[in-house]
Amino acid sequence: MLDFEDEISRFKPSLEVGAVEEAIKQEDLTDMNDLITEIFKTVKE
Amino acid sequence: MDRTINKNYQIANSYYNRGLELAGQRDLTGAARYLKRSLLFNKFQTEARNLLGLVYYEVGEAGAALSQWVISLNLKPQDNLAEEYLQRLYKAQSYLEMADQAGKKFNQALNYAQNDNQDLAVLLLMRLTGDMPNFVKAQLLLALLYMNHEDYTKAGRCLFQVLKTDRMNPKAQRYMTDVKENTGRAEIERRKFKNAFSHRQMQDDDIIIPPSYKENTGLQSVLNILVGLLMGAAVIFFLVLPASRESINRRHNQELQRYMEQLNQKSITIDELNSRLAEADAAQKNAEDSLQGLLDENGGVLSQYQTLIRILKAYQDEDMRTAALLYTNLDLTVLQDGVVDEILAWLIQDMQLKGYQELLKMGDELLNQEGKAQQAIDYYQRSLKINPTNPQALYQIGLAYLKLNNTDAANQYFGDIIMNHADSEYARQAREQRGY
Repeated sequence: MLDFEDEISRFKPSLEVGAVEEAIKQEDLTDMNDLITEIFKTVKE
Repeated sequence: MDRTINKNYQIANSYYNRGLELAGQRDLTGAARYLKRSLLFNKFQTEARNLLGLVYYEVGEAGAALSQWVISLNLKPQDNLAEEYLQRLYKAQSYLEMADQAGKKFNQALNYAQNDNQDLAVLLLMRLTGDMPNFVKAQLLLALLYMNHEDYTKAGRCLFQVLKTDRMNPKAQRYMTDVKENTGRAEIERRKFKNAFSHRQMQDDDIIIPPSYKENTGLQSVLNILVGLLMGAAVIFFLVLPASRESINRRHNQELQRYMEQLNQKSITIDELNSRLAEADAAQKNAEDSLQGLLDENGGVLSQYQTLIRILKAYQDEDMRTAALLYTNLDLTVLQDGVVDEILAWLIQDMQLKGYQELLKMGDELLNQEGKAQQAIDYYQRSLKINPTNPQALYQIGLAYLKLNNTDAANQYFGDIIMNHADSEYARQAREQRGY
């Protein structure tokens, strides 16, 4: 049996077309290579 | 370091391949999961990002799709399929507008649903999923709301639509299990499954009748045909007709809802137009009033300026009496526009110094003539208008009324002097007139 309140709270708003610009700005584009490069830099220092 | 980076590229490619495979099988949720992992290992994996955008687009998330394609084009501006996707999307403005509206409506509906306004949420979502049946999130939310209202059949339809778009959507599958349990569909499927795979050991006395074996007589054939016809009629009556009736009703309801929305929109437009018309009418009236105010013969601005000019002309001619008389007709409130403030200040000062006395003199001259007491009162009143606290003017008015045999009015003025100007020389004379 589903718990309605629990289920409804899991729904997240849809990204509106008008808010795309802001979403792109906030997108975290860090990938594994960035992380590894960063770690290497720290270790060398 | 380079080896590690190469390894990451390989992992990203593997994830992309798996995502591509799942997308091909219409397991869009699974595909999205692998594509995101691919991008986590290599953000420059353009194919993965473009495909992720396509997956979002397919499930009705135009905003998320746009976002991925724009990022993709930024990371790789040349030879990128994302450019074509974006161009196509911008060319289809009507779709973009619809998708924009869909996102807004979904968020509104979600807000309604999460704040105990489920009926409104259902109405919005019905309209939304009618326009965009592949909007997975909206279908899922609508299904959940239907399930909460225990309308499992409608919920099942929404979930069916979701699974058509995203075959392995986990949420839809979970909801569908619940729907099937509540509609009895689960039991039917379990039985079918059991029958399909269950078997028992063949016994010695079991007889296998070949499917071609028939023992029908002519009468039985006729009966079979009749039974078949009856069953056909029953199927039409019980299954086809209600379904078609329901379909027609649904169509009518949707149409009615559309008309209602159009009607509401028109009403809003009419209200706006009426409001603008009222504003325009008010502005027109205001302008007309202003114009009338300017043109009005007695109290109008133009008329007041004319009077002022005539007063100044009288000053120029050293005709103080005319100036004082005209001054009492001047409406100073109309002329306080900052243009002639200095002239007015000087004029008021001069009138309070000399003007009121000229008017008193004019009144006195008339009072001494036979039958002109009423005119004299008019000049005294004008004098009072310039200098309202002058007991001499009050006293003279009293005398003029005595001449007119209006003792009551005269006593009123004498009383005023006795009460309010008790220290003046006219107080004594007023008392004498009253006989104190």
